[in-house]
Amino acid sequence: MTDRNEPPFKRVLIANRGEIALRVMRTAREMGIETVAVYSDADRSALHVRRADRAVHIGGSAPSESYLRADKILEACKQSGADCVHPGYGFLSENAGFSEACAAAGITFLGPSAEAIRLMGDKVAARRVAAEADVPLVPGLKDDVKDDAVLLQKAEEIGYPVMLKAAAGGGGKGIRIVHEPKNLLQAAELARNEARSSFGDDRVYLEKFVTKPRHVEVQIVADQHGKVTAFGERECSVQRRHQKLVEESPCVAVTPDLRARMEDAACRLARAVNYVGAGTVEFLYSEGEFYFLEMNTRLQVEHPITEERFGVDLVREMFRVAAGHPVCDAPEPRGHSIEVRINAEDPDTYFPSLGTIRRMNSPGGPGVRMDSCLFRGMEVTPYYDSMLAKLVVHADDRSTAIQRMIRALQEMRVVGVATSIPVALRTLHSELFRSGDYDTSILEKIDRSPPGELVDVAMLAAALGKYLRTEEVDASSGAAGAGQGANVSMWKLVDRVERLGRRIL
Amino acid sequence: MKYFTKVGETEREFVFARHGNRIDATSDGRSFAIDLASVGDGTFSILVDGRCYDCVIDRQEGRSIVLVKGERIVVDVEDERERAAHAVASAKGGGKQILEAAMPGVVVDLRVAVGDVVEEGQVLVILEAMKMQNPLAAEGPGVVSKVLCQKGQAVAGGSVLVEIDPPESESPEVGAAQ
Repeated sequence: MTDRNEPPFKRVLIANRGEIALRVMRTAREMGIETVAVYSDADRSALHVRRADRAVHIGGSAPSESYLRADKILEACKQSGADCVHPGYGFLSENAGFSEACAAAGITFLGPSAEAIRLMGDKVAARRVAAEADVPLVPGLKDDVKDDAVLLQKAEEIGYPVMLKAAAGGGGKGIRIVHEPKNLLQAAELARNEARSSFGDDRVYLEKFVTKPRHVEVQIVADQHGKVTAFGERECSVQRRHQKLVEESPCVAVTPDLRARMEDAACRLARAVNYVGAGTVEFLYSEGEFYFLEMNTRLQVEHPITEERFGVDLVREMFRVAAGHPVCDAPEPRGHSIEVRINAEDPDTYFPSLGTIRRMNSPGGPGVRMDSCLFRGMEVTPYYDSMLAKLVVHADDRSTAIQRMIRALQEMRVVGVATSIPVALRTLHSELFRSGDYDTSILEKIDRSPPGELVDVAMLAAALGKYLRTEEVDASSGAAGAGQGANVSMWKLVDRVERLGRRIL
Repeated sequence: MKYFTKVGETEREFVFARHGNRIDATSDGRSFAIDLASVGDGTFSILVDGRCYDCVIDRQEGRSIVLVKGERIVVDVEDERERAAHAVASAKGGGKQILEAAMPGVVVDLRVAVGDVVEEGQVLVILEAMKMQNPLAAEGPGVVSKVLCQKGQAVAGGSVLVEIDPPESESPEVGAAQ
């Protein structure tokens, strides 16, 4: 406890996959903690398995057969001698039963108590606790209403547009926005169906849909001695289908006074549930006011932008507070940081794009950080989340950070699946984003077409490719022309293109 | 020979002529000097009048997908012969709508049967993929001629779920697959 360099744990099992498993392993390795990966059938070759010190197979490719199986993961802990578990995000990270089962097995769960997870994970209970802790709330119903007539009447009282959300939800799933009474009941049915199939719990609740909303969240880390440190806010309003795509810190709309109030509210909520570990309190910001949305009782996908601005390693803090160390104070934040999520998805429809990664280039240079699970030959399967990587930049000010992200995205290349990179570029180039005065509707408002110059180049390249594939090469006329070296190299080129062409061109 | 390209509503045609290592391209009366180097793996460095573009040209299902400067641009490309062949083919089946699964998923709801009259925007199928429910709607009015999926069925990306004949069509195919 006294030596800062003494590893607080011997061996951590990471109950996750993808980039977050690699993220946790990096810090564990730096701290001298051995790492244990778990993997499903589909993930035998995944990078998180190859980079770990040990790995345990836990079952079939479907998450319900592997990464969601608390029993198999606890068995893997015993088998590998792990003394702590990092749940990452998603999967079992907000599963109170898993937290409890770890404690019962004498394994440290790197997160809050089962009680805190339960309270914050149930949106109805979370709103009650928040209200008691004097955290501002959006007007809405505190309980699920299944009676159609009552639902219609309550929606009328709150005022349209209204929003239906899964009580057990997260990650944007099970959310429906309703603008008119005639659509309310069908939307409620869809929301219940999604909630049931995603979370096994069909309770939904109704609340006012706030206009021009910005999604702003506060990062906290709490220790076992009652100390809670807030690490500023993240702006996460660039969303498609209620899922975040581009995040930045700080949020340009947040004044120092508002920031202090939001941080205080987040810390009050954490104390109200005796929180321990890293957590995020999500707020809706609208016209100078903020309202509690939910608390995520885990490490968040977009945590790196906070790390870059504050020069803090949040995963290290998670290990330290779990071992009983006090949480650090927040250092003075510096500059501006932006994250872009690189998802395997069609940039127009946002549908997942599956396939094999045939080639990839990672960007580099000053102020660029890449948290990724990508490698050449990787299969993007339908079993898991479509996020492949997170590109993070940090710079002295916002406009430099935007330019840095644009150039890094232009350097990045993923061949084999479609990605969200073009949408991120459109966003960063848009006047709306650059002005800073945007809300969660930004992706519906910006021009999503690629620059004309590059469309022209793409057409030229495609036509050129076809020309080289199909045009008959007349050897004799080529030799009769300029003759010698020039024609020989052209021949080689075309031949090479022809051979490549079967597969790639 | 001419090469026809299309991105969204924009169309361009190209003519190429080779001069040793250089290719001259002509499009809409403008000429460009092209210098092209294959750097392997489907990546090409293309210099267009001295301007540098590093492109990946990826062919999928008859289309070319070009990656350049972070953009991903899907280009329909055909030469003169193909264009003539396509013109003949498309003259035949006009007006038919085909509702496809844009990605692999499970049909959680099927709301039409053969013979149903549907309107533009009417939800026909709800496909659940990656835990999201995606309503799939008719692009225009018509009459359902075939239903090729069942509720609860797992379907592959690109598989045809429902076929719709144009509204003036009098007799939908009888005995279509259920």
